[in-house]
Amino acid sequence: MANMQMQQLKKNFGNIPVIKGIDLDIKDREFICFLGPSGCGKSTLLRLMAGLEEISSGEFLIDNKRMNDVPASQRGISMVFQSYALYPHLTVRQNLAFGLKIQKLPNDEINSRIKEVARTLQLSELLDRKPKILSGGQRQRVAIGRAIVRRPKVFLLDEPLSNLDATLRVSMRVELARLHEELQATIVYVTHDQVEAMTLATRVVVMKDGAIQQFATPLELLHRPANVFVAEFIGTPKINLFKVEVQECGPQSITVTHALFSNPITIPIAKDIKFAAGTELTLGIRPHRLSTKQPLDCTISAKVTIVERLGTESLLYTDLGLETLVICSAAGTVPINRGDQITLGFSSDNCLLFDDHDQAIERCLPADVQLLIS
Amino acid sequence: MNNSLTSRAKKLFINALMLVISCMWLIPIWMMMIYATHPDNVIFSGELVFNPGTDFFKNFAILQGKQDFSMAIFNSVIIAGFSTLLGLLVASMAGYALARFAFRGRNSLFALIIFILAVPSAAIVIPEYIIVVKHMGLSNNYAGVILPYLANAVGVFFMRQSFLNLPSETLEAAYLDGASEWKIFYSIALPIVRPALASLGIILFVAHWNDYLWPMLVMTSEQYQTAPIALGRLIGLANIEWGAMMVGASLMTVPFLLLFLILQKQIIAGITSGATK
Amino acid sequence: MLRNRYTPYAFLSPYIIVFSVFWLVPILFSFAMSFMNTRSRTWQFDFFLNWGRLLEDELLWQALKNTFLIIALQVPAMLMLAVFAAVLLNSKDLNFKGLHRFAIFAPIVVAEAAYAVIFRLLFNDNFGFVNNMLALINIDAIAWTNSSSGATALIAIGLTWRWTGYNAIIILAGLQNIPKDLYEASELEGASPWQQFTKITLPLLKPAILLCLVLSTFGTLQLFTEPTLLTEGGPGGSTTTVAMYMYSQGFKSFNFGYGSAIAYLIVFLGLTLSLLQFKLFGGKPDE
Repeated sequence: MANMQMQQLKKNFGNIPVIKGIDLDIKDREFICFLGPSGCGKSTLLRLMAGLEEISSGEFLIDNKRMNDVPASQRGISMVFQSYALYPHLTVRQNLAFGLKIQKLPNDEINSRIKEVARTLQLSELLDRKPKILSGGQRQRVAIGRAIVRRPKVFLLDEPLSNLDATLRVSMRVELARLHEELQATIVYVTHDQVEAMTLATRVVVMKDGAIQQFATPLELLHRPANVFVAEFIGTPKINLFKVEVQECGPQSITVTHALFSNPITIPIAKDIKFAAGTELTLGIRPHRLSTKQPLDCTISAKVTIVERLGTESLLYTDLGLETLVICSAAGTVPINRGDQITLGFSSDNCLLFDDHDQAIERCLPADVQLLIS
Repeated sequence: MNNSLTSRAKKLFINALMLVISCMWLIPIWMMMIYATHPDNVIFSGELVFNPGTDFFKNFAILQGKQDFSMAIFNSVIIAGFSTLLGLLVASMAGYALARFAFRGRNSLFALIIFILAVPSAAIVIPEYIIVVKHMGLSNNYAGVILPYLANAVGVFFMRQSFLNLPSETLEAAYLDGASEWKIFYSIALPIVRPALASLGIILFVAHWNDYLWPMLVMTSEQYQTAPIALGRLIGLANIEWGAMMVGASLMTVPFLLLFLILQKQIIAGITSGATK
Repeated sequence: MLRNRYTPYAFLSPYIIVFSVFWLVPILFSFAMSFMNTRSRTWQFDFFLNWGRLLEDELLWQALKNTFLIIALQVPAMLMLAVFAAVLLNSKDLNFKGLHRFAIFAPIVVAEAAYAVIFRLLFNDNFGFVNNMLALINIDAIAWTNSSSGATALIAIGLTWRWTGYNAIIILAGLQNIPKDLYEASELEGASPWQQFTKITLPLLKPAILLCLVLSTFGTLQLFTEPTLLTEGGPGGSTTTVAMYMYSQGFKSFNFGYGSAIAYLIVFLGLTLSLLQFKLFGGKPDE
């Protein structure tokens, strides 16, 4: 069993707070991603878990045992570094054996573990080579192998795919998912790439400025983002945001207006919240939820400035005089060109509403989403 | 047309000039080896010889007779060898500490070590002698020569520079693997900086082998003298045996010339990186 | 990494111990001795005994003069030669580079004692190789060891032979750091090779040359082995260097206090000269 808890975990570098009170509860065998922009503290948090940095205050537990003062090698943790950090003067075999020799495991045990790992990661041919002559992908597998061979309870990975080229990254993502299945271990994975997080993780920790913004499954993050930051960070292309004005609040609904909307739109919400008329809220609509075809609850008239044809979808960028372009994603190839005047429509149950502090107003999920999220 | 003529003339000029300079530069070494193989009467005669003779072993016998030169070479090997090995260890441990740890007093200590580099070594000789020979009683003792050499600051400086360039994550990986601080240093950090160790080692070895003043002060008996001292003693004799002396000079020098041929790259690397302080 | 706070001190301790015992203590001890009368049975403090003597000691001033004469003779000549050699070695027109590099650089590994005895033989007044060669072109034998000017010249020549290569290595490294496009740009503007040399090469070599200057001056200031074995400080004390004088005071007359004062004088001169050279010739070269 390898569950982990963080209680009000804080880390200061000198006088500068970098991790500002993190509470986290990770269950055994989850695949957790720490996701966020650079400088948000995700790597620092990982290093605190590994024992490479000292915890300033708060508690960190693995299997209900306090780990704050336990040396890194005794925490039952393995780490794959961003730079792989292989020992350059040792062969692959010696790299894998290094930690095991320190633990004074018998040679038979060491050899059998190395054999097994080499088979799993297809390293058997490379065992007697030195890291210098291996390719990036091979080195990464050696780094993963070195982590696996210790049979840890928890795997920590620090941006493991960021040094690989695009095709390799895709195949390694599949590898990692397979490994998670095979090893049945808890994995904590740091990345700034939301596609990686969304495809690999069971749950994602979205971080900003040393604090957790939301800790939820990928689907939750996409459809029920806790605040504007999460809504903007997750989802490609980026969500479209509008500053709307409250017209009136009904029982479990809010009606808002915007200069560019064809009509005021009433959005169903989960709880009963009252806002004064005229309050400014933020309304978000994902590009996939804007439609060029059917007239829906509300429409916006727009002129297309850029068309990106990606095969499976076409991205239509429209300039509405707002801060950012409003993007619409249409399936397949559409007969719309630059300069065309189009009408974008959306329905009320696809709108995300955020209050005047950028926090999400709980909404009613549309039917198709409700099936996915339990 | 004009261009290729002047450039060919230029090429000829450069090559001819450099050839003259190189020949002049090689003469001392070449003549040393020539004279080592001729009896002294040939040397005295003033005739110009450029070919090796046959008297090498005769001259060597004279050399052995006068100064037990093979013993002197042995002493040089012991002293230079141990000074280098111990010096590398001490300097790399100190350089590692300065490069990879943050601790109180680190900057002041480093400044002090840099300061050492500015003080001429000749100035230390007198008090060093009093302490080592008179107070510690280490005259005619290998330790008496070797120990002061270990206080050399160049090595610490050089190794610190090398350790600064180590990737932190590799050391952290070893830490995660459960390695002790010493094991991280000895099994991971040190092997990675092996080229630097090699360069420094060669420079230290040559410097210690060639040193004249300090070993001369400590090793007063003929049994413990080093090769340079033995050569120096030959000068002091009433009748200078030139051929024998050239044999001594050759034995001292030729191995290092060969070493230079093989390890030219490392030696030059050591000098240039040490120079960019 | 969570580390024991004493680890760095543990790694440093061997060096600190050796450094304290064999460098720090001696240097402080020496300083103290320079203020003491070390010839009396129990040493006593006598502040100006040694330092005062420094000012009046004719032999010391002679030694200083000799030393500075050698420096003035040898250092500039050797530096010019080193620059020259480095430029030639860097030239793409040069063939057999390996041979030339060996010829110029190899003297670095030759011991002072070894080359001193070699040069003593080669420059022997009567049967030395050099005088024999000079005779071939009808030049009279030069009294290398028997005249003060000859002896000084001999030492300067020996030092030049031994150290030009070392300085050439440093300067060559400096040369190779000069970006090639500077030369190409100037060539497009019609600069001659000489102009390129004076306007581009030399200014950008200044740090390397300055380093060599400081190191050479510093090293020659402490010159001991070569004059001891080549000329035995003669004739008539004309090639006795200040380091040799310090040695004779300390180890022949056992005048430790005075010897220490001379040692500190050498330190003072060395530091002052280095600082002066940095002040005068330092500063960034303009692009």
